[in-house]
Amino acid sequence: MHMVRITWVIGGPQGTGVDTAANLFGDAIAKAGYYIYGNREYYSNIKGKHSYFTITISDAPTSSISDDIDVLATFEPETVFQHFRQVKGTLLYDKNMEGAKLENALLMENEIKHDVAQVLSSHGLDETVGGALNYLKNNGITVIPIDFDSTLTMIMNEVNQSSTVVGRAKNVIAVAASYGMLGLDKKFLLAAVSSVFKKEEYRKINSLAVEYGIIQVQPKYSLEALPTNGSRLRVDGNYMSAMGKIFGGLRLQTYYPITPASDESDFIEANQLLDVESEKQELRKAGAVVLQMEDEIAAVNTAIAACLTGVRASTATSGPGFSLMPEGIGWAGMNEVPLVVTYYMRGGPSTGLPTRSGQTDLKFALNVGHGEFPRIVLASGDHMEVFRDAFWALNLAEKYQTPVIHLIEKTLANSYSIIDEGPFNYNALRISRGKMVKASESYRRFEFSDDGISPRAALGSGPGRIIHEGDEHNEYGHITEEVNMRFKMYEKRMKKLETADREIPERDRLNVYGDMDSDTIVVTWGSSKLPIIDALDMLKTDGISIGVIQIKMFSPFPKNMVRKLLENKQTIITVESSYTAQAAQVMTENTGIAPTHYILKWNGRMITREEIYKSVRRIKSGATKRIALNGGV
Amino acid sequence: MAGSELIISDWCPGCGDFGILRAEESVLKELGVPLQNVVVVTGIGCSGKTGQFMNSSISTVHTLHGRALPYATGIKVANPKLEVIVNVGDGDGLGIGAGHFVNAGRRNLDMAIMLHDNGVYGLTKGQAAPTLKLGEKVKSMPRSNINGEVNPIMLALASGYTFVARAYSYDVNGTKELIKAAIQHKGTALIDILQPCPTYNDINTKEWYEKRIYKMTDIDPIVNDQAETHQKIANAIVKAGEWDDKIPLGVFYRNETVSTYGDRLAANIPNYLSYPPAEQEIERDGIPSTLIEKLVSTRRVLIE
Repeated sequence: MHMVRITWVIGGPQGTGVDTAANLFGDAIAKAGYYIYGNREYYSNIKGKHSYFTITISDAPTSSISDDIDVLATFEPETVFQHFRQVKGTLLYDKNMEGAKLENALLMENEIKHDVAQVLSSHGLDETVGGALNYLKNNGITVIPIDFDSTLTMIMNEVNQSSTVVGRAKNVIAVAASYGMLGLDKKFLLAAVSSVFKKEEYRKINSLAVEYGIIQVQPKYSLEALPTNGSRLRVDGNYMSAMGKIFGGLRLQTYYPITPASDESDFIEANQLLDVESEKQELRKAGAVVLQMEDEIAAVNTAIAACLTGVRASTATSGPGFSLMPEGIGWAGMNEVPLVVTYYMRGGPSTGLPTRSGQTDLKFALNVGHGEFPRIVLASGDHMEVFRDAFWALNLAEKYQTPVIHLIEKTLANSYSIIDEGPFNYNALRISRGKMVKASESYRRFEFSDDGISPRAALGSGPGRIIHEGDEHNEYGHITEEVNMRFKMYEKRMKKLETADREIPERDRLNVYGDMDSDTIVVTWGSSKLPIIDALDMLKTDGISIGVIQIKMFSPFPKNMVRKLLENKQTIITVESSYTAQAAQVMTENTGIAPTHYILKWNGRMITREEIYKSVRRIKSGATKRIALNGGV
Repeated sequence: MAGSELIISDWCPGCGDFGILRAEESVLKELGVPLQNVVVVTGIGCSGKTGQFMNSSISTVHTLHGRALPYATGIKVANPKLEVIVNVGDGDGLGIGAGHFVNAGRRNLDMAIMLHDNGVYGLTKGQAAPTLKLGEKVKSMPRSNINGEVNPIMLALASGYTFVARAYSYDVNGTKELIKAAIQHKGTALIDILQPCPTYNDINTKEWYEKRIYKMTDIDPIVNDQAETHQKIANAIVKAGEWDDKIPLGVFYRNETVSTYGDRLAANIPNYLSYPPAEQEIERDGIPSTLIEKLVSTRRVLIE
């Protein structure tokens, strides 16, 4: 049960250290023994447009955000205009910008400007930061001025640096002031500054920003450091996917730059020199190659080809890139190649919302490519799952010798959570490479077998000839169009999915939460499960108890278990970030069971726990069958 | 024969592909490379079947239309110990696969590309391919070509290929010599292999070519010092412009002073060539061999 749940937001123009500020704040909170979940929102822009970071602070593991802000830390006008209506607690602002006009927020989108202008004028308020502050004061919300200019001058007096360099510490002053509201010892924030800023001069400037920022506010929350048990990590989705792959033995990754997938490949490349334990426990070095290709067509086909040499290889992309890959993935299906594609979903169609999230590509992943071939489709719901599934995907691909598509949403890729290292326990994971052989003289790459899986030999592994062929082929790989061979070879390929369906326990293909005895079950997938889990106790307070099924594997689908879990349930609510509820469609196709209610969101922003709480209450009151959410900024 | 069955090629009688297949196979045997380390990567089209039709134990990967080069790249980078040879057509390599053709030059992987250049898309019944000249009309085209042509030699030079040559497929011995030099070259080698298509190209026929082709002796294609690079490329481009009356065969440009992609990867990963990705042990009895504690520790915010 969560006793503490505080929502903190910092915002600012892209390129002014909003991410650094959020990292510092989050690390300090974590060092004090609290958990956080932090969600990053930003535009497809390099510098200047509004970005912001929402952090939930909790005394228990947490996985969601709220649009109701307890503490809003700002250091320039646009963040005030963008978020003031969400503030339910306190707003911190630069006291010298009260006169800043809405019309001068040049990079702010016109739709938002008009909306804000209308709200302010309808309340008879100026279209300025001052007007927004008065709006809040009239609603009983606290606003606290921070004197950024004199704080910067005080820092300048102590360090021998230009005003430009010191001026960059504005974000940290905002962090410090808002941190001061929590009542936590400043030592945690100073420790975070020391670990984030490596250069002595920056460490000095930002430590002073903490000292002078923190004293400008009075504590409101009187939080105390919590006793902890074991180490904790601050992780994001890109990192967890990269780590799962590296630990899983990935040694070749291809990519073409694309948001929000490239960070994964960048991380692998930056850390490509790996320590491995070899025979006799001696340490040796290994190298993971990362290839930036000319397009996603090259990226997928290069990764596929690398797999033919026996290496574990993959590519990472998002929607527009995946749209260029189907032909290659079909070749991998035809040639029984253990390709892993990590698919970061963002808002589509077309370029869509390049930096926002969505769950609109499930059916595309399930149906990618012309013709029929088996593919395994996995979707992770939290950061721990991202790591384990990235690792698992490499095993599944080699075991069933067919493409595996691992779905992760932008919101998981870019958000942070604090996880306990104990349950992370990655050393318990095992690699399984499936049927691997050396090519003997009589080798047949597509040899028939009962389970449909043929012994796989790497190119160059022996004297036998290895033939890979995108045309229909016989056991050797030679082209054939003969009816009986076509009949049998087709069936052999397809049989692998049946084998996978038989061998992979259905229990591993889904998660359940909450009260599964309830007659109300929420069916969801991916990161949409996160706000649901955090809404469970909120609903319970109101006497509503629900069960949750998170589907993790969509192909092969855990149909028996889902059918059983949903047997005789009165209310089945699907929660998804799409318009058409794709996971529910796939569920119905596999189980014959359709949802009775829908909670859907397609505006690119993460679903919040309040949205779930309110929507489930509305559904339980019989008000509606379908709720379309539109929260967020 | 070992591990496979005898496959009879189904190219049209008189096809230029026969000469390329014969030359390529005999060079590989002569070079004495262990055949199990050779991989022939092909695209789609008549040339795409080259690997299938090899009557030896050479492994082959018959890929997708236009994508042979990304496949060759993946194989060669993952296992630099393999000898990778690419056979693509002019439609395959310069039309649908043009982007990969250009970008392969930027990498300079140690591999050889045979461009089966006949000016037509044979398997789809004779449409114009990228090397067919503007205004030309081969017999099955309903109208004459309204697209201009690409010059494979010039494109390769502009893209950074370090070995650029032209052969004529009916001249099996000449083609063999160039293939041998291309395979031995350190870097990406392109041979533009002119080949009549007796079924669909009634312009660039055997008779047409044999009146025009000659072996170049008037340029020195070899770059011995990086300072000569631009001049040698310029000379080669001028030479590559010859076509209507006289068609030069032989090596236009050769430069081994440029680092290969393998060298570049090895600069970042010191043991890349001796312990390439394909050979790395990643587990022992299922236990992952990779130690990730250092990478985990960078994310540890609370230590106990």
